[in-house]
Amino acid sequence: MARIVGGFGISHSPSMGVEYDRGMAGGFDARWQPWFDGLQPVKRWLADARPDHIVIVYNDHLNHFTFDAYPTFAIGVAHTFPQADEGWGPRPLPDLRGDPDFGWHMATQLVAQEFDVTVCQEMRLDHGIYSWVPYVADLPLQVPIFPIAVNMLRFPLPLPQRLKKLGEAIRSAVHSFGDARVVVVATGGMSHQIAGARFGMANEEWDRWFLARLDDDLDRLVAIPQEEIMRVGGADAVELTMWYAMRAALPAKVHRAYDYYTFPQITGCGVAVFDPVEEGT
Amino acid sequence: MSFPGSESLDPPDTFIYSGPMSTAGERINRFALSLKSPVQRTAFLADPAPLYAQHRLAEHEIGLIERRDWTGLLRAGGHLQAILKIAATVGESLWDIGAHSARLDVEEMKAICPRRVSGLPRGSR
Repeated sequence: MARIVGGFGISHSPSMGVEYDRGMAGGFDARWQPWFDGLQPVKRWLADARPDHIVIVYNDHLNHFTFDAYPTFAIGVAHTFPQADEGWGPRPLPDLRGDPDFGWHMATQLVAQEFDVTVCQEMRLDHGIYSWVPYVADLPLQVPIFPIAVNMLRFPLPLPQRLKKLGEAIRSAVHSFGDARVVVVATGGMSHQIAGARFGMANEEWDRWFLARLDDDLDRLVAIPQEEIMRVGGADAVELTMWYAMRAALPAKVHRAYDYYTFPQITGCGVAVFDPVEEGT
Repeated sequence: MSFPGSESLDPPDTFIYSGPMSTAGERINRFALSLKSPVQRTAFLADPAPLYAQHRLAEHEIGLIERRDWTGLLRAGGHLQAILKIAATVGESLWDIGAHSARLDVEEMKAICPRRVSGLPRGSR
């Protein structure tokens, strides 16, 4: 039986990716050095976790999908997941890999649990994934990923409760796969708003409050209406609801292996890493 | 901590993107997202008129694009993530769009970011 050996929630942003490239070429900007340093323990944790697959719950930013067909939930089942061109041309990074056998297993099991996902055999991934991966893993990444794209751009958005259920479905689907070690990641920016006059708002109080409640208070977080998150954390902080899928994919009892938080400029950058505490131990 | 409008979910402080906005902004968004292709970006910079025609943009929509009226494009139903592709093509960025909505120049906006606020969701204390 496959096992979920851990999970983490992590922010993403376009500048996070650009600043990585600049930082590796000529040294990190003072605003971004703390994030690079702060993620080194996550890189070590991920290497030690020795995953065979990494499930990633993220959102596309109109870089693969358009509003002509914008799925509420979509999965990628492919051998490779190339980088999308977001308008500035792709960054100099190798493609991420996929494993169709794992992907079809997950597709079948998610649909069996009434998650009627759109299956994409071609999926270009944007900064939602490519911005943070180089901070936490050496490239090219040898471990295949399984991306799950969630609509976080246009109402109606899937409800927080639904994202918790997605995590439970991921957990069950993983458990029925063969022998494998799986890490579950969810990625969404912490407080931030990029459209409108509230551009650049930063609510560290909310971000830290949120981070502190992931261990034991998932239901309390899930109960917060989307609009309340948007009011206090900025409209785009609603991406944090995707983190519920990661947390719900892990057992009720977890051990917090690590966390870190900083606010470079536009988006709250946080990470929280969890080890499962096995049931019955 | 707060700043004027920092709790507002209404335009121009915040654009909560809805289905009807998506319908209103259909042409703008299709046009903007065509610029994900480097070939289309080059074509646009050489002569935007054929692309405007191809995407059947209305005169007022073309005017918003030509004036780089980022906030006007958001009001007209353009999604930020789509409008960003136009900005990228013309050498602007997220900062230009944000500063435009806040009626600041880009350097002023960069100087005040992050714009610190505080507070937790209602009922959470």
